[in-house]
Amino acid sequence: MAVALSPTQDEIQAPAPFEPLEIASDRCKGCGLCVDVCAKHLLELDESIVNELGYHPVHLTDAATCTSCALCARICPDAVFTIYARPKGV
Amino acid sequence: MTMTRTRTADPRRIIYRRPELLADRSTHYCPGCGHGIIHRLVAELLDEMHLGPRTIGVASVGCSVFAYDYLEVDFVESPHGRAPAVATGVRRVRPDAFVFTYQGDGDLAAIGTAEIVHAAARGERISVIFVNNGIYGMTGGQMAPTTLLGQRTTSSPTGREAGLAGYPIPITEMLALLPGVSYAARGSIADPAWVGRTKGMLRRAFETQLSGGGLSIVEILSTCPVGWGMTPSASMDHLAHDVVKTYPLGVIVDRLKEAGASAGEG
Amino acid sequence: MGSVHATMDPPGVADGPTRPVLMKGNEAMAEAAIQAGCDAYFGYPITPQAELLEWMAQRMPELGRTFVQAESELGAINMALGAAATGARALVSSSSPGISLMAEAMSYMAGSELPMVLINVMRGGPGLGSIGASQADYFQATKGHGHGDYRVPVLAPSSIAEAVQLVPDAFEIAERYRTPVIILTDGVMGQAMEPVVPIYRMPPRRSEDWQLSGADGRTPRVVRSLHLQPEDLEAHNRWLQAKFATITANEVRWAGEQLEDAEIAVVAYGTAARVARTAVERAREHGLPVGIFRPITLWPFPSAELSSIAPRLRAIVVLEMSAGQLVEDVRLAVEGRTPVFFHGRTGGMVPTPSEVLEVLRRAWATTTPITGWTPETEDAATAEPDPLSLIEQGAWAAEGGGR
Repeated sequence: MAVALSPTQDEIQAPAPFEPLEIASDRCKGCGLCVDVCAKHLLELDESIVNELGYHPVHLTDAATCTSCALCARICPDAVFTIYARPKGV
Repeated sequence: MTMTRTRTADPRRIIYRRPELLADRSTHYCPGCGHGIIHRLVAELLDEMHLGPRTIGVASVGCSVFAYDYLEVDFVESPHGRAPAVATGVRRVRPDAFVFTYQGDGDLAAIGTAEIVHAAARGERISVIFVNNGIYGMTGGQMAPTTLLGQRTTSSPTGREAGLAGYPIPITEMLALLPGVSYAARGSIADPAWVGRTKGMLRRAFETQLSGGGLSIVEILSTCPVGWGMTPSASMDHLAHDVVKTYPLGVIVDRLKEAGASAGEG
Repeated sequence: MGSVHATMDPPGVADGPTRPVLMKGNEAMAEAAIQAGCDAYFGYPITPQAELLEWMAQRMPELGRTFVQAESELGAINMALGAAATGARALVSSSSPGISLMAEAMSYMAGSELPMVLINVMRGGPGLGSIGASQADYFQATKGHGHGDYRVPVLAPSSIAEAVQLVPDAFEIAERYRTPVIILTDGVMGQAMEPVVPIYRMPPRRSEDWQLSGADGRTPRVVRSLHLQPEDLEAHNRWLQAKFATITANEVRWAGEQLEDAEIAVVAYGTAARVARTAVERAREHGLPVGIFRPITLWPFPSAELSSIAPRLRAIVVLEMSAGQLVEDVRLAVEGRTPVFFHGRTGGMVPTPSEVLEVLRRAWATTTPITGWTPETEDAATAEPDPLSLIEQGAWAAEGGGR
């Protein structure tokens, strides 16, 4: 999301990268259904992490390519996803 | 739970988030279990249709016996199979309540067959959510009345044989014959598209109840990865390609719609 | 939310007639339930209680209340479970084989602490049995129909008029303690017609925080009996046992007749108590000091009361229309201090007073008087009349006794 720049500001803040989704990693059971349904293959189970439930939770590998289609949220049995609309121009 | 989720003051527009009526806790369901998806759909609809405050749900026996821990509405626990009778008792004394049962295949089509047939025959104004995963998950994976021919379970270890164990029961088609059934449909959670269509079927079932119709039932083909001995992904494939051959998807009957259509033709 | 409860005043009670009306037992109990504010009745036809269902089928819809003839007794009791979970006043009636089908739901309702009233109009068993009256469901009613550690209060009227009084009491006990309550009657009482004074009672309603009504502006409520963690279930069972102890302390009912100077007590309930009363009257005419100890609550059983009377009795005669079920609780209560004789008929047969007299005679003849006990009444005889005298035997024989 772009941040309006004050002309008097010395420092230019870089725009924060848009996060199209949030994942409740502590609830994910690593079932992998979202990995299957993501049309752009952007989801992956992170095998370097084991969450409190004992699973490898899913993570988004490329936020910039995600279109917020929400197919992952639709298939998730544990409702771990919150999906945000990508603002225009981002 | 230490997870932080932004619900307030987030400038981003939310397309999807966890429904309010879905309890803020992890479920006991196995990874990839269809119950998780179906509970979510029910919660989404109860939220969207503002039914929470007047819902009385009837929980049955099976893996989903804990449905009342996950759906934040009033619930009464029913003995195995008796949910349609319990729901009848609730419905008759609480005419303004929104009443649904949540039952598995053993609960509805084995031990509870009499109760569902007669609730349907009486046209009880309740919505039946019938989760059919063709197996008894809670008790360790035994054969169900809806188990497919040839399917291996712990009580049909060499595969279900019709001569010994009979044929899978198309209970929803049977119920749809009864005039007391206003809406009967079969959906699936095999892929996001069907998850969406199934939500539409549930919505139509709930609307049927709200508009004074008779019994509404949505059978939802679901998975049991652990019971089937498959990964969640493979389970979805099995649903999409094999189970639907025995249990075709779609609306079986919508009597209110048919009545409306024929009235229109007059 | 629409109102659950019947708000109609019972017609004609306030200024109604106090002249007795001849009513069939099944119908009298049904009307008593209606007048007690029963919101919902669920049943299934079975002899000998079908008239109760039929009365409800006519009256409940007239009053805008719920009536359902279920697909089976199993359906009926589960419908009552659902209705009771919302706080409705629910009634189910059946007879012995149908009650067996309700065992599961009774256990669930006890575990979920749901109030409701179940009327059993007992018939002959086991199995399909007969349609004649019996008292062979005493064990079923008092020792638990379904699985698990629980008890339910059991009320046993011995006349139709008493049944009419006990119906509202049953609802009240059920709601006070959050428990199913059984009214145990039999085919004789269900089918007979007796005068009933149509003065009824509607116990006040209780609005409670466990009743399901839709979680509008409050946290959701769950009515259930599942407590999967053993520690939780043990705590729940302790709670239930404390409840049963409270009921036992507070709700025992029994009636005694002619016990003050009695040396033999006949213990009987329901229709058997009616037969016993005639037998006791005849025994008294022959000079035998006999009385009746009539339990009205079969659970909680009046053990303490019977136990306190037993020491001054030379014998107890238990009369049942069964092969002997109540007699076990009598033996437990007297703890071997008093000889217990039993007479029972099964299969739908009703014992006759003459049969009972025969047992009383045998009890008198084969037991010894209690020494060291001073009778309370002034004119109690110190010399017992001899029932074996020819005059006495002749009188009994003429009545058909001693067959």
